This record gives sequence, C-alpha cells and structure tokens, in this order.
Amino acid sequence: MHISEGVLSGPVLIAGIAFAAAGTAIGLKKLDYDRIPRAAILSASFFVASLIHVPIGPSSVHLILNGIVGLILGWGAFPVILVALTLQAILFQFGGITTLGVNTMIMALPAVFCYYLFGRLVSKRSHIALPAAFVCGALSVFLGAVMVGLALTFTEENFLKVSYLVVIAHLPVMIIEGIITVFCVAFLRKVQPDMLPGNSEKTPPYAP
Amino acid sequence: MRTNGLTRNRMCCRKVFGSMLFMVACVVWTGPAMAHRVTIFAWVEGDKIFTESKFGGGKLVKGGEVIVYDLTGKQLLEGKTDERGEFSFKIPKKTAMKIVLQAGMGHRGEWTIPASELGGTSEPNPRPTVSQKTGSKMPEVQAAKSSVSLEQIRRVVEQSLDQRLKPVIKILVESRESSPTARDVFGGIGYILGLVGVGAYFNYRRKSAEIEGKKTD
Repeated sequence: MHISEGVLSGPVLIAGIAFAAAGTAIGLKKLDYDRIPRAAILSASFFVASLIHVPIGPSSVHLILNGIVGLILGWGAFPVILVALTLQAILFQFGGITTLGVNTMIMALPAVFCYYLFGRLVSKRSHIALPAAFVCGALSVFLGAVMVGLALTFTEENFLKVSYLVVIAHLPVMIIEGIITVFCVAFLRKVQPDMLPGNSEKTPPYAP
Repeated sequence: MRTNGLTRNRMCCRKVFGSMLFMVACVVWTGPAMAHRVTIFAWVEGDKIFTESKFGGGKLVKGGEVIVYDLTGKQLLEGKTDERGEFSFKIPKKTAMKIVLQAGMGHRGEWTIPASELGGTSEPNPRPTVSQKTGSKMPEVQAAKSSVSLEQIRRVVEQSLDQRLKPVIKILVESRESSPTARDVFGGIGYILGLVGVGAYFNYRRKSAEIEGKKTD
C-alpha cells in the first residue's frame, strides 16, 4: 500500500504532507507521556508487519495492521504510522521520502476513522465486540485501498478502476487483518481491558 | 495494594515479553525475502535491450507497463512485461535511456542505461590498441585482416561474448535483489525504542520541574 516515489504529482504530495503534518500534530497532542510505550510497541509492530507478505492474489501485498493501531491509539496513530513509514522508507526502500505524507494519510486516516467507529463497540459484550473488531481490521485496510485510489486519481488513472484493483489485491489482507484484530481485542479484553478505548476513561492508566 | 502492584507488574512483564515474542515470530515468519517495492533491471545485448522486472521478494511483474525515455524526458517507446516479467526492445536511439516500470497501484521502479553501455558508434574504434597489444601476433592479425573485415570480427566476438555473459548477467540480476535483512528490522525497532527514550526524557524533565516547583512553594 506504499506509493512509490515519482508516481504522484506535486500538488498531491504537498497536500499529503500538509494533512499528515496536521494529523501528526493532533496525534502528538493527544498522546500523553504515559501512553508512549504503548505507541512504541504498536509502531514497532506496524513497522515489522509490512515484511509479512501475503502470497495470495495478483499483486504483492503485505500486512498493514492500521486497524489495531487506530483502535488502541486513536489520533496517536498518525505519529506512530509516520515514524514506522519513515523507517520503512529508509531501511526497506518501501514507498519513499517524498511520498511519506501521502502514505501516512493513506494508512493513518482510516485508522482514526475506525477508532471513532468501533472504539466504543470493542468494550461492549463479546458478541458485539468481536465482530466489531473483525470489521475494524478489514475496513481499515479497505479504506486504505480506497485512499490509494483517491491519491492516484489526481495523477493518472480513473478512480473506480484503480480502487477496484487495489481493493481486490488486498482482499486476503483484509480477512487476515480482521482475524488478527479479533485476536488482539479478545486478548486485551482479558488481560488489559483499559488499553481498549471504551474503558480508558473508567480506569486511569496508572493507578497508585 | 502492594500485591496489586505486584500482579500489575507481572502482567506488564508478560505483555512486553509477549509482544517481543510476536516480533521475533514475525521476523522468523517472513522467511528469506519479502518486500513491497518494485525494481527493474536492464542490460544491453547486441542491438537489443533486455529488462527484467520484479516485486521485492522475487515475484515477477506480469503485464507491467515499461516506458523508455531519453534523458531529456522524451518518450521513446513503451511496452508491457510478459509472463516472465521480461520485456525487450531494439535500441531506438544511441543515447542514454531511462527505463521506467509502472506496475500499477502506485508501484514504480526505474533504471538508467548510460550511453557508454550502448557501445555507441560515436566512440573511436579501438583499432590501434588491438594491433599494439597483439604486437607479437602481428602476422596472424594481418592474415585475418586480409580475409575478413574487422567489423565482422567485432560482431562475432560480441555475439559470443553476449552468449558467454548471459549466465553471468542472470546471476547479477538475481543477486541484485536486496531484501530487508534482520539488521534492518532490528535497527528500525531500535530507532523506535530510541524515540521512546526521548519521550521518557522529556517526561522526566517535566516531572522533575513539577517537583522543583512544589519544593519552592
């Protein structure tokens, strides 16, 4: 889901950088110091997940994990994904430095969106929470694919065609990420329920 | 209260350990080479240029669009990669060329062929050096010269060289594949931990400033 360097036109790149900077600023404001270790673990997971390649389907796709990042961090997904993407661009040559802004938007915006959509649901009873977690994982990838289509529309091809191709290529990833998100949420509900967004208000992160 | 803190601590340990295990599992699971980028490699053989396109991880790019530009940005020709990710074309013009691969969905790779690789006719023929180097075999060369033209010899040599070099080029193409290594992965995780350290440092400064403030009050 990384857009390479030299594909997009200047205005799209600049818009991507501007939006990503705004999102990162909001995210850093909302990310208090006590949640930094949590953000770092998720950033590291996101960074490594891109190496897990899904060999099904016509194109080359890999895990993204933006659903679970968004679910746990909300707006904090922006700085976390920006850091991980920067490292991926430098160390793995995925994407590129100039497309960092656009790529951050592609993956972080769906994450934040899913946070607002499913944040409260995942702390409800398990027959609501687990399906919600699955949809959260799958939808965040789907929306990311649509964002790729949107970014490419301005430069080359027709929106529906590109989005369709990207969505089809990511269908296996959507299902896998849905399942991963379900496992993560089920695990957190048992072990550390206050990490999930719906509960965080009830119990402060560090009780004396 | 104390036991509560202890269990919380233990839980934390377990969580951290779990996530570390997860990461190690990821690294092991990724196997030899998985990536998400696309590369094109091009080389000259006779009067043709051959290209090979791959996604990182070795998956071939089928039906990817290849566009050839000269260095001024003028499009010379375009085509599509075949089932084996290959595309070849006759050299359209003896200039340096930029070969761009568009594999769709925002994937793009490029490769530049400098003019020197094309063996341009503008270069002077290496005739004098040949005769100097083979000074001791002068009679033979002269004999060859009399029966076949130098141009023909050059062509034959080039052909057989191309044939001999084919496997070497193949190996080069394959070895050029550089997938992220474990070093890259752990390096990245190290950077993230470093950022946590920066965050913790500022947190500590803020907290100690607060305490200082209270003391002076």
